[in-house]
Amino acid sequence: MSRTLEASEIHKYFGGVKAVQGVSLTLETARIIGLIGPNGSGKSTLLNVIAGIEKPTKGTVTVDGRRVDGWPAHRMVELGVAKTHQIPKPFLGMTCRENVAVAMMYGSRREGEPASALEESRRILAMVGLDRRADAPASNLTVQERKRLEFARVLATGAGLVLLDEIFAGLSPDELRDAIALFARVQKEQGFGALVVEHVMRAVMILSDFVVVIEEGRKIAEGSPKEVVEDPAVIEAYLGSEATNVTP
Amino acid sequence: MPEPMVLVTDLAFGVLLGCVFAVIAHGLNLIWGVAKIVNVAHGVFIMLGAYGAYFLNLYLGINPLLSAPVDAAIGLAVGAGFYFGFLHRELRGKESIAQQSEMVTLVATFGLALFISNLALRLWTGNFVGIPWSPGSIRLGFLQLPLGALYVAIASVAIIALTHIFLSRTYLGNAIRAYSQDIPATQLMGIDPTFVAAVGTALGFSVTMAGGALLSVWLPVGINPGMGALYAPISFVIVVLGGPGKMWGSLVGGISLAVIIDVGQAFVGTSLATAIAFLTLIPILLFRPEGILR
Amino acid sequence: MKLPKLRAIGPSLWGIGVFLLVLAGLAPWIPRFPLTILVNLLIFAALAYSLNFITGLTGYVNFGHVVFMAVGAYTLGYTVGTIRLHPLGGVALGGLMALVLALGLGAVTLRFRGVYFAIASLVTPLAGLNIVLVLPALGGGQGILLNIGFDPLSWFYTIWAIIATEVGLTYWITHGRLGYGIRAIKSDEDAAKSLGVNAPRLKLFLFALSGLFAGATGGVYAWTTSGVFPEAAFDLTFSLRMLAMIVIGGMGTLLGPLIGAIAVYLPSRFFLTIFIGTESIIIGLVVIVIALFVPGGIVGTLRKYVPELRRILE
Repeated sequence: MSRTLEASEIHKYFGGVKAVQGVSLTLETARIIGLIGPNGSGKSTLLNVIAGIEKPTKGTVTVDGRRVDGWPAHRMVELGVAKTHQIPKPFLGMTCRENVAVAMMYGSRREGEPASALEESRRILAMVGLDRRADAPASNLTVQERKRLEFARVLATGAGLVLLDEIFAGLSPDELRDAIALFARVQKEQGFGALVVEHVMRAVMILSDFVVVIEEGRKIAEGSPKEVVEDPAVIEAYLGSEATNVTP
Repeated sequence: MPEPMVLVTDLAFGVLLGCVFAVIAHGLNLIWGVAKIVNVAHGVFIMLGAYGAYFLNLYLGINPLLSAPVDAAIGLAVGAGFYFGFLHRELRGKESIAQQSEMVTLVATFGLALFISNLALRLWTGNFVGIPWSPGSIRLGFLQLPLGALYVAIASVAIIALTHIFLSRTYLGNAIRAYSQDIPATQLMGIDPTFVAAVGTALGFSVTMAGGALLSVWLPVGINPGMGALYAPISFVIVVLGGPGKMWGSLVGGISLAVIIDVGQAFVGTSLATAIAFLTLIPILLFRPEGILR
Repeated sequence: MKLPKLRAIGPSLWGIGVFLLVLAGLAPWIPRFPLTILVNLLIFAALAYSLNFITGLTGYVNFGHVVFMAVGAYTLGYTVGTIRLHPLGGVALGGLMALVLALGLGAVTLRFRGVYFAIASLVTPLAGLNIVLVLPALGGGQGILLNIGFDPLSWFYTIWAIIATEVGLTYWITHGRLGYGIRAIKSDEDAAKSLGVNAPRLKLFLFALSGLFAGATGGVYAWTTSGVFPEAAFDLTFSLRMLAMIVIGGMGTLLGPLIGAIAVYLPSRFFLTIFIGTESIIIGLVVIVIALFVPGGIVGTLRKYVPELRRILE
């Protein structure tokens, strides 16, 4: 089933700080949208608004035409929209399998039986390459493993549209290559649509079908990765001298 | 409708009492602000401060106003002990306080409250005691104000002002404030975070115990090992009203709470006024979690 | 959700079940005085189990649990005193009233996280006491004196039924899908929400259960003391005792509240006659030590260090 999430004219103010000012974007099944922008440009806030973690000050979010802005996060997950945390938040007292099982039982799959959820968790952990750590307590994982667990949990919710907050950050070039390949493979298998907020330009440029650039809470450019990289506004505002290094 | 003169008197007493409430809550606020830890045993240290003043008066004959600095000095040592006993292992090496640590300290300090208050009960019995000290009163128009309460109010405001000056004007004070915002930042200032946190906590206890001494002036027959069970919740409400971590918030919260009780009782009686004063906590937490001060 | 198959039910539940059945069978033959001590112990255990639903399972530290007990006690006092209801009816109504209060209170205070919830919970008994003091229907400062006689066997079976229900529910909740959601909330509430756990509803459900059973137990308590007295009904030390029990026994475990209740209540019975007040000093020390060094209490520690017991002490 094809799903469409539309965020239009999203504004989010914190007191006097205008974190997001009128950004619109569309997310669809099987498409990867990259969201880039400098530090503090409002990327994470926008993601939080879409995921139901924050309420928009103005603007609407619809999923398949149904208005969902202001819905709490857990209802968005039921609907099939789930987000990873920029800083992974594993349930430290549980094993990896149990972590994934929670998502399996409470996400849109609504798997009712802990036993079968735990069984199914193995498959998902294998998908992200954590199968060897399945029965390890999450507190024993390294930062990179925690990021994979974060991704596995989002997959386990059964979400058709996923929001990924910097899952490629802090990787060495080799790790990054592996992670990108893994992500591309899983995305192809599962066919979800993804909104990828990323600092790592290479990942965004390789993976994305479409890129949105924001700066100081405003959208300054959008288009295919190639178009965006060549956009003078983007080069001016964000890429600067790095522009030459962006294209893969 | 009560007489206007009665109301003005209640208001004046409310403000005076509020200043003392402010200083006992201020100790809690400092610890809360610095270490992001709520000390459930706070009331017990107010009680110890009051007993300190009581014994100093009993054996040496000094009045509570002069006992306050002695209590404050003892409080520094007690606070340092508290930091290393209860907080250090939760805060050491951390960039911020975790949910799990929050629960650990809540439960541990609750155990501490049980321990100390019952130990005090065993040592000093449950009898109510007080300090016989009344330096007379002053007339302002139709207002007759006890001088003891007036001195204590001035001392309380002075203590709050002094801590404020310490925190905003001295290098160490600034380091404490930096610590409360962002633990790694203190290291950038070249100061050991452990030292900063320990000093901040010790300062909080010092103010709390001095506050206990000042409070004793309002309790001619009210010092008792169980008194913390009342003054701890009062302090919590004050800190939330004024805003955790805001230094003048203690004063605003303290005076608000005491005025609600003192003026409120003229309208609805002491019991309901007290209930209302405590329950103001809930709408504040719901609608202004940062406190009434901006 | 399906009920677990009998074979799948763990040894802890079997153990408590057998213990309770033996007690129920023996009760008619226990002399009156020891029976009243047993009833008091079970009242504390029932309170500990009720607090365990919210504080043990979710980690929301509730210092004001005694309000629910007070509401149950006052409901029994009022209904038995004025409309001559049977005390059992008073117990049931007491539970119901406390459930309603828990729903109302929880809808607001469960929004507060961590220390803020704890603080809000600390002021509610103080506010409650001051409100009751001005209600003439509830006897104001005097309280309500009842004349409903001395009937330890009825007390016993009532409190027995309450504990049996609590234990069954605790097992059912912790061993199914709900248990995973609750552990997730206890570990990281935001993460739980972002994986679809309806944290507000789940917390309110547990808080309501916690109120229901504390209220019913409060009713039994008023029945055993044949009256309700404001200062005693809202006595914070009750809350603190219950909290000490689950901390010492092991928060969130099936056996913890029972073990904690026994560990806290029985010594205090014996110490009481030797030197008054000492038991609370010791309890305080034990709570400090457990909170700082032995998270998990007695049950959690046994589970950790004696692997053979891990499967038994679930």
